[in-house]
Amino acid sequence: MQKRKIIRRILDNITEKLLTISGAVTGIAILFITFFLFTEGAALFQSPQVEHGYALYVNSSNPVNTLQPEETKAIFDAEITNWNTLGGKNSEIKIFRIDDAFQIYPESELGENYELLPAKLGEIISKEENILAFLPTQYAPQGTAVKALAAKNIQPKEYFLGKEWLPTATPVPLFGVLPLVLGTLLVSIVALIIALPLGLGVAIYLSELASDKQRRLLKPVIELLAGIPSVVYGFFGLVVLVPIVQKTLNLPVGETAFTGSLLLAIMALPTIISVAEDALRNTPRAMREASLALGATQWQTIYRVVIPYAKSGISAAVVLGIGRAIGETMAVMMVTGNAAVMPHSLMESVRTIPATIAAELGEAPAGGAHYQALFLLGCILFVFTMIISISAEIISKKKTYKTH
Amino acid sequence: MIEAKNINFYYGDFHALKNISIAIKPNTVTAFIGPSGCGKSTFLRLFNRMNDLIENTRLNGECLIEGKNIYDKSVDIDALRKRVGMVFQKPNPFPKSIFENVAYGLRVNDMGNKQFIQQRVEESLKGAALWDEVKDNLHTSAYELSGGQQQRLCIARALAVAPSVILMDEPASALDPISTSKIEELVHELKQQYTIVIVTHNMQQAARVSDNTGFFMHGELVEYSDTKKMFLNPDKESTQNYITGRFG
Amino acid sequence: MNKKLSQQIAFIIFKLFGVLVVAILISILGFIIVNGISVINWEFLTAFPNEGMTTGGIFPAIVGTLYLIIGSLLFAFPLGVMSAIYTHEYAGKGWIVKTIRMMTNNLASIPSIVFGLFGMALFVNKLNFGDSIIAGSLTLGLLALPVIIRTTEEALKAVPNTYREASLALGATKLQTIKKVVIPAAMPNIITGLILSIGRVSGETAPILFTVAAYLLPQLPTGIFDQAMALPYHLYVLATSGTDLGASRPMAYGTALVLIMIVLTMNLLASFMRRKLEKKRSK
Repeated sequence: MQKRKIIRRILDNITEKLLTISGAVTGIAILFITFFLFTEGAALFQSPQVEHGYALYVNSSNPVNTLQPEETKAIFDAEITNWNTLGGKNSEIKIFRIDDAFQIYPESELGENYELLPAKLGEIISKEENILAFLPTQYAPQGTAVKALAAKNIQPKEYFLGKEWLPTATPVPLFGVLPLVLGTLLVSIVALIIALPLGLGVAIYLSELASDKQRRLLKPVIELLAGIPSVVYGFFGLVVLVPIVQKTLNLPVGETAFTGSLLLAIMALPTIISVAEDALRNTPRAMREASLALGATQWQTIYRVVIPYAKSGISAAVVLGIGRAIGETMAVMMVTGNAAVMPHSLMESVRTIPATIAAELGEAPAGGAHYQALFLLGCILFVFTMIISISAEIISKKKTYKTH
Repeated sequence: MIEAKNINFYYGDFHALKNISIAIKPNTVTAFIGPSGCGKSTFLRLFNRMNDLIENTRLNGECLIEGKNIYDKSVDIDALRKRVGMVFQKPNPFPKSIFENVAYGLRVNDMGNKQFIQQRVEESLKGAALWDEVKDNLHTSAYELSGGQQQRLCIARALAVAPSVILMDEPASALDPISTSKIEELVHELKQQYTIVIVTHNMQQAARVSDNTGFFMHGELVEYSDTKKMFLNPDKESTQNYITGRFG
Repeated sequence: MNKKLSQQIAFIIFKLFGVLVVAILISILGFIIVNGISVINWEFLTAFPNEGMTTGGIFPAIVGTLYLIIGSLLFAFPLGVMSAIYTHEYAGKGWIVKTIRMMTNNLASIPSIVFGLFGMALFVNKLNFGDSIIAGSLTLGLLALPVIIRTTEEALKAVPNTYREASLALGATKLQTIKKVVIPAAMPNIITGLILSIGRVSGETAPILFTVAAYLLPQLPTGIFDQAMALPYHLYVLATSGTDLGASRPMAYGTALVLIMIVLTMNLLASFMRRKLEKKRSK
């Protein structure tokens, strides 16, 4: 008997420890997620601007010492062709790539393992004053008149304020997130503008006007709407909404920011309706009765008493709706067309942050700058939604009416 | 034998029990009466350390049961609670069958085999004067019983683990008069075997069932004496006032 | 404007909104049911995709989703329930518990693609599981965790304190009280949470994109380190990147219908259970 009790005590002890541990584990899971996202993401700023393992070299007589990533890109896209644009001499830029070396020298002259290549490259650069050579650091050119352009790491400013997202461009990929951030905000905010009046209207209808029977019918319907997986919404959007938008608005393509907003609005409706309805229902009966007793109509009571009272709850509904819209991935990806350019109009294709991650992560080599840039996008998304959920919490806790 | 010495008890900053000392004899019924919020229930819950479950509370003083301070560090709280049974204000059977409710305390305390449990359940239900009413449907849900039956079931549940003391916290307050009188009869019988401490706000009840009565007010034990004396000829004026219904 | 008239106008508008929302839902559901129902037959449910996913069935995707549901809940259900028990029954009201609770709440608001990122970084790359059922299950499990924790906490909250007191007063230890009284009483509600999270897990796409989902597999996975197909990802593939989008459209409708059926069945089951419980309690 005594022995059994001791064994039980020990087992109980273990179980209780286990409970404590699980409590701690879930608590720190989020810290863990944060840690992983941010370490991977922050590593981007330790990555060089130029493609990994490569560097840019010029003749040492060239006054240019550094190039901005956009400048480099413009040079290789042949948009900048003269050194004087960059503060150098008035002469044409001659671009040189490693492949060009094999045109000039037969492979036999480069040695068995290309051990003679660096010297030859140095020779070429020393001879040509206007050269801009893009070469692997493994074969860094050796010569007296060779100058490597300062190898800077990617700057936070370039990332957060950059206007171009070209993650696979060579020699310098561009990771400017502005078009993606703006695309996300545009799609989400328009979605909210569509969904808010609709959702609020339905919430008022449900809480104030509907009969018990109607409510019993509508509420489960709205809950079902919330349960449908987003990929099904995306499919519906792709097959139904996209052609409708294209035809009715007479657009070249139906995959636009507006289509995304429309779909997101439908998806955000259940959240907005149920949170707002809860808030409206929490208005004390005494308040309604006081208003009605003064001769106000039911509608006057609703918009003068009930809605002001429920203001904080309704705001929370709005904020949660935005949160859902900003993070939504699949549905948006399927209907917005995914063009990573600065959004100019609602009727053009845009790309949101989640869609970018989903579309590109599969092709980004793990640990590379592109991969890290996508994680940093995840961090941005994380911070967005965190701010939103915390502010929703604060808003819904705040009492609208204080007793004086 | 229960003895409390210089008990002071605090909820946070609130001084709920002020310097209370009391001695309760075995096989008696002791009633605690007093206006609501006077500390009588708090005091009762000290005897099986139920107040430990409330956060931010503090106790000074000693509480001895059978000569041992139950607030001593070496005390096994679960074993203490097994020895000091409790019946609550509202009947609170578990959502289990009648049988399982009574057997629960035996099971969690590893008491005896199947046969023993069966026998003990029967004895306890008999002890709580419920056996005849439920013996044919021991395995139906406890919630099928009426409120009075449920409360007697809770008493049976407390009896099953063979405590020496039974604490009752207004056990009849949620019941109709007939059920109440059944409980009172039961209390009277149970004192042959158990020491019973009962909190009640019903003075007639205290007068009917108890041997000794303690009157509490504002966290103090104003008066503690033989029940007959207390109701006929109290020492203190405030006791007199309360008993005659001037306040409360 | 006359106040009666403005009321009438406002109410008509709200009513229209209500009708509109119902119409949207019915059109989405109706659209998928009408188009999908003719595709679904025994072969569709039990055969492998064929001819560039334009014929055949979706059997491996159904099996994969099943594996992912089981795998993720095997991990998330015990962990979630235990951690809810810890925060609700054991932990005091100090700042640590408050922080944990706040963090769990926030976990629920993180977009699912971020879970996918994390799952890829930790399970696929760092722990070297590769794209696998285990990596996908753990990622999805993390996603289901807040749902389970929240419903379990609600369930525990609904257990009257008198049960706990009665049990403790009989000499039961805290753990015995939890095991024998609190959990049995809370069980139906906890199960409701489990069902809801099955619905959630089976419909998610973004978290499995980079942790488990395969475009097309010629055979069923044989172990937890294999990749698997899954219904939501399969629908995505059929809708956007099949070899012949027109020809695979019926397959997409069928897949969407199967997916909706699973998710809606789970939701209906959960709300049915909840209603039954409410009735029982009000008795």
